[in-house]
Amino acid sequence: MSDSHHEESFWRKYIFSTDHKVIGIQYGITALLFLFLGFSLMMVMRWQLAYPDTAVPIVGSLVKWLADLNGFASDGNLPADLYNVFGAMHGTIMIFLGVVPIIVGAFGNYLVPLQIGAPDMAFPKLNMASYWVYFVGGVVMLVSFFLPGGAANSGWTAYPPLSDIATTGQTYWLIGMVFLITSSLLGSMNIIVTIVQLRAEGMTWMRLPFFVWSQLVTSFLLVLAFPPLEAAGIFQLMDRVFGTSFFLPSGLVIGGEILKVSGGGSPLLWQHLFWFLAHPEVYVLILPGMGILAEVIANNTRKPIWGYKSLVYSATFLGFMSFLVWAHHMFLTGMGQGMSVFFQTTTMIISVPSVIILTCFMLSLWGGSIRFTTPMLFALGWMPMFGIGGLTGLPLGLSTPDIHLHDTYYVIGHFHYVVAPGTIFAIFAGIYYWFPKMTGKMLNETLGKVHFYFSFIFMNGLFWPMLIQGLGGVSRRLSDGGASYAHAQEFLHWNVVMSYSAWLLAVAQIPFIYNLIKTLLADKSPNPDPNPWNATTVEWTDTTSPPLGHGNFEKTPVVHRGPYEYSVPGESTDFTPQTQN
Amino acid sequence: MEIPYNVELREDTGLYNSKLGIWLFLASEIMLFGGLFSAYILLRTGAPVWPPIGEHGSIIHLLKDTIPHATFNTVILILSSVTMVMAWVALKQKNLGKYKMYLGTTIVCALIFLVVKYFEYSHKIHEGFVPAHDTYMALYFTLTGLHGLHIVGGIVVLAYLWGPGISMWNSEPERFTNRIEVAGLYWHFVDLVWIFLFPILYLLN
Amino acid sequence: MSNKNLGHHITNYRNVFIYLLIGTALTVIASYVDFNVKDSIAGAIFVGLLIATIKGYLVAANFMHLNSEKKMIYWILMLTVFFLVLLLFIPLLWNLNSLSY
Repeated sequence: MSDSHHEESFWRKYIFSTDHKVIGIQYGITALLFLFLGFSLMMVMRWQLAYPDTAVPIVGSLVKWLADLNGFASDGNLPADLYNVFGAMHGTIMIFLGVVPIIVGAFGNYLVPLQIGAPDMAFPKLNMASYWVYFVGGVVMLVSFFLPGGAANSGWTAYPPLSDIATTGQTYWLIGMVFLITSSLLGSMNIIVTIVQLRAEGMTWMRLPFFVWSQLVTSFLLVLAFPPLEAAGIFQLMDRVFGTSFFLPSGLVIGGEILKVSGGGSPLLWQHLFWFLAHPEVYVLILPGMGILAEVIANNTRKPIWGYKSLVYSATFLGFMSFLVWAHHMFLTGMGQGMSVFFQTTTMIISVPSVIILTCFMLSLWGGSIRFTTPMLFALGWMPMFGIGGLTGLPLGLSTPDIHLHDTYYVIGHFHYVVAPGTIFAIFAGIYYWFPKMTGKMLNETLGKVHFYFSFIFMNGLFWPMLIQGLGGVSRRLSDGGASYAHAQEFLHWNVVMSYSAWLLAVAQIPFIYNLIKTLLADKSPNPDPNPWNATTVEWTDTTSPPLGHGNFEKTPVVHRGPYEYSVPGESTDFTPQTQN
Repeated sequence: MEIPYNVELREDTGLYNSKLGIWLFLASEIMLFGGLFSAYILLRTGAPVWPPIGEHGSIIHLLKDTIPHATFNTVILILSSVTMVMAWVALKQKNLGKYKMYLGTTIVCALIFLVVKYFEYSHKIHEGFVPAHDTYMALYFTLTGLHGLHIVGGIVVLAYLWGPGISMWNSEPERFTNRIEVAGLYWHFVDLVWIFLFPILYLLN
Repeated sequence: MSNKNLGHHITNYRNVFIYLLIGTALTVIASYVDFNVKDSIAGAIFVGLLIATIKGYLVAANFMHLNSEKKMIYWILMLTVFFLVLLLFIPLLWNLNSLSY
């Protein structure tokens, strides 16, 4: 089945490859670079928040260069206009160019075909196309940084009317988004068809690893929720390019003058279409992370994951419900009470399956002989962090406390607890866990543990004070961190704590980057252990590390049992491969 | 390396890969046009008069003149859908000549549709009814424009299947027939969207 | 698929074509009719959309073969249509003040 015998050119093999494994790694590398960029923007912003209007150390000249290019005045400090750009682009890059591509594009692409025993994705050429469309979208976003007026500066939510009248960067943002949305749509259709059609013989629905389930639900969310945002993006492009008034109400006054447009539009329309995507998007971020954790936890507790069926049903229900809660982001838009009651009820309902999933993971630990490997540490760290993220979401989902908390740092804290220690920890767990599969080399455990402990500490140092500030009423998106507001004064010192945590968090990533590079450069053992973690799923047991060339399997696997048969009584080993008869 | 179920049906789902793929694509298209229609509903219900009155007054009288064009275009699209499905039947009957004739008709119909659309657009723009004129015009141009882009995309794909793509008929006839079915599903969807655009944009004002 | 079956298909497609033409004619005629609903064109909108829905159904069921499709496709479409309805109508209910009447 392997194609590796006949020579492929460098370009066909590594750049324009149709092999899902190569595409997965392409996604992974690109997305990691974008994550780094998004994080760097944040580190500069944290300087401005801790020490407003003072020159940024180390990269000050770079900030001044960019500010000059964009036409903002700067003496090496981060001017407010550029702060807005950084804020908007931090969110955009982290979510649409970083986390989604790595967790769906990289992990989904690389692992789904291997875990279900398929030779490749269902549409290999389409797969390549989705990566390159994503790449183009990323380039458009990057180019926009160098425009006069800078990149998009209306927040990652791009609310009109502000975004309708913003500088050219916003137009680039919209074009970039159309590319990214198209890429996600193509990629997720591919994943669904692969899972439905290419499961190996005997791989029934209830024998799928939970990771595959999470990718399936996620892909459905992407297919059905992204198009309305694409429609909204097209409307906003029309508003900006052709002067239409989809999002501009009549009589809008800007700078003391009535804006010369026909009016008759509705800013709320954007919010509807945006949040119709963006709420399911939250589950796009977290569900595949949960999928990774299920694999890691079962493997490292050496026992079946607790409540496999509950996990599957919860994930499916979660996906379904995520379409019914979007207006909890819009409680303050003057909606009727009936509507807010409906949406806060659905919001409370959707927390139930999340809690079930978290509970299943916690109960899986009970009675297990836990191996404290690096991926497991990240999984263990994930549980309380995601728990905090989830619990802090409840007050936001109820319309009354939301009046106080809306648009404060509390929202930022809540969201980052879900996505940063939530999703990013899952991503780290996944990288440490599957790195030996991708390369045939194990990452260094000691460096991994150093990476984990320090990341864990500084993530909390970074996000916990946000909750305190938010409860104190400090608004988000203030370029001076609240310094000009009387009520924020007693919370200002937290800005320094958070900023140092952010920079130290960056330092904590050095062992990780060093570990990656050092391991990649190290010699590979001639015959690496294909299954170093003693796992049961197909990708570990039926193929080499890294898997064979295009085609994955020497012999098409046939599946005989469920995914998590660890410590089965009467077996000679404590793991029973899915393909063992 | 061969991807399984490219041509043959998978037993438990009864589908070949691209059939499922195109339906997922159409599902996302439904949601895309859903977003567009949702905007139409929200903006229309929020407007005091429909179509709104702008700088050049209301489009309503001009619109009455274009009903014959739009009706003609509706018939043309329906016809193209029928010839599309007949092209698929022709392949099932292994009649390549008939296939080329039917698919050719579909492409010609699509081109006629675009030409009529062009005259419609230029007439409106000439009279000052540009997208920025009012929210009706904005919706009109965005919705029909996006639909028009779908027609253009369809023409590209169908022209390929009519011309160079036909070589697959000799090597893998069944796979080629599947391709026509899948392309047809897309084409019928574009027709279906027009069936809704026609009354909401031209008739019910 | 046998040839006899195909012949049946062809007759069916021809019939659907005729129905669609009739539907188009009806919807144009209907748009000129005053349905006598007070001060509004709600009646015309209802009739127009009803005809469009019937036409859409004919296309989907016959040309797109939805009258005899596999279960998986139906599931996906049902899910899609459910979310579509939400997307279309929830924004309209924005001012709803009470869930009970």
